[in-house]
Amino acid sequence: MQGILEAISSYITTLGPSVVLPILITLFGLALGLKFGKAFRAGLTIGIGFIGINLVLGLLGGQVGPAAQAMATNFGVQLSIVDVGWPSSAAIAFGSTIGAIIIPLGLLVNVILLLTGLTRTLDIDLWNYWHSALIGALVGALTGNFWLGILSAAVHLAVILSMGDITAPVVQKYFKLPDISFPHGTSAPYGLLAFPLNWLFDRIPGLKNWDATPEGIQKRFGIFGESLMMGLILGLVIGVMAFPFQNPAEDIAKILILAVSLAAAMFLLPRMVGILMEGLMPISEAARVFVQKKFPGRKFYIGLDSAVAVGQPSVIATSLIMVPITLVLAIVLAPLGNQVLPLVDLATLPFIVAVMVAVFRGNIVRSIIGGSILVALGLFIATWIAPAFTKIAVDSGFQLGEGQTVISSLVDGANPMTGLFMAAGNGGTIGVIVASVVCLAFVVTTKIMLDRRDKKQEAAAETATQA
Amino acid sequence: MKRVLIICGTGIATSTVVAIKVKDHLAAVGIPAVVEQGKVMDLVRGEVNADLIVATTDVPESVTIPVVRALALITGFGEESVFEEIDSHLA
Repeated sequence: MQGILEAISSYITTLGPSVVLPILITLFGLALGLKFGKAFRAGLTIGIGFIGINLVLGLLGGQVGPAAQAMATNFGVQLSIVDVGWPSSAAIAFGSTIGAIIIPLGLLVNVILLLTGLTRTLDIDLWNYWHSALIGALVGALTGNFWLGILSAAVHLAVILSMGDITAPVVQKYFKLPDISFPHGTSAPYGLLAFPLNWLFDRIPGLKNWDATPEGIQKRFGIFGESLMMGLILGLVIGVMAFPFQNPAEDIAKILILAVSLAAAMFLLPRMVGILMEGLMPISEAARVFVQKKFPGRKFYIGLDSAVAVGQPSVIATSLIMVPITLVLAIVLAPLGNQVLPLVDLATLPFIVAVMVAVFRGNIVRSIIGGSILVALGLFIATWIAPAFTKIAVDSGFQLGEGQTVISSLVDGANPMTGLFMAAGNGGTIGVIVASVVCLAFVVTTKIMLDRRDKKQEAAAETATQA
Repeated sequence: MKRVLIICGTGIATSTVVAIKVKDHLAAVGIPAVVEQGKVMDLVRGEVNADLIVATTDVPESVTIPVVRALALITGFGEESVFEEIDSHLA
């Protein structure tokens, strides 16, 4: 029996996500009441997205990987771990064994938490379940136990929902988004950490009233927002350091090819994920309608992707300045152990800072200082998880160029929650169980504190009307 | 043919949901238009080739063409009024 199961499992791995997911998604779509044609088209589109991402990752790994190695040998700058960014992370997560079942699992967790009152958020942004799937896949790979992976994914989602609840009042007020919360794996943990930082900044003389205006920054730093220009410039810089004109004609060709390839990769990766997203959309729409129907008339926060907040001027300004800061941090922290070369996720910095900016009430100076502290710490987490991250990428069927370049990402690799579950996974079964208990305690404490706060506010409002 | 640019934080996540709904809607009411997606960072430098922007997030003040806010197309509450606003700009 064991032998048969292993044979099936190994055959599924051979097929890879580009074949398995179309089948799974079609079945899931049918279960949600979609017509066969629509469900099958959605599934096939997702398969195509996977193949597209794999092609671009091959380009990134094949071109940038060796150049980063050469740069390390030439200058002793040990930044050889390639940041493949959130587009690849999402694909790796959905392509993992946990990713295959994350949508029904996530819906189930959310519904249970809503029914028990442990969350106030109905997360209709099913796409971002991938953050939880990635955590599950990481823990699964570290412990070799699929069920511990499932447990971790479910617990991660519960914590993120709680974080969405905590930051919701700030998000709603600052971004003027009534009834919205951001249970978003990227931005929510950073938003939570911004509260103690804000408390600290209030107590540092000189910093208290320091701010900057977003308009000037947008004009001056606008170029850092354009992925293709950023890719080209970074490619040229890495190229010059990797191929320092020992053989001018040959090296110039190598530098230029690298620069255009990196521009291409940074431009194409999000497009490829767009295809994945397009395929997932009919499914997530059907699931949203299905769940919203189950809770008629109940009032809760609608959980969205923090993408809807990214256009806020202070978020844009902070992110633009964070691009050069992140690159400098990576180089400066290299002697201390950072090995991650920030690339694709430089375009995703807005998501790291989105909720933080709201907590800092749009103060750009605070957002930049807070963002820099957390990104600096995050680079070490991203370095730490790189081997495990690379393993789940390869297990999910991705080709990372010759010699399999070691990869990581800023958005999820550097995330404090990823660090927590990495530590848990390294602790084996006991580690995962301890982490899960701590996380669930956090969820329960959050509920109690939020309920208490609401009661106080109601009481205060009542006294106000009586007076 | 009018060009409609759908804008969100990534040019992928929420804008794909909105883009598909806008495309389906325009096809249903018979308004010919090109629907494209983009990220808000691309607008910062102010070069926009479109007749209408439909956005799920804030767009920079430097943008001079009409903007329709389309958060309702993601949450599913109040979709009709967003479609009406889009139609009125494209008519």
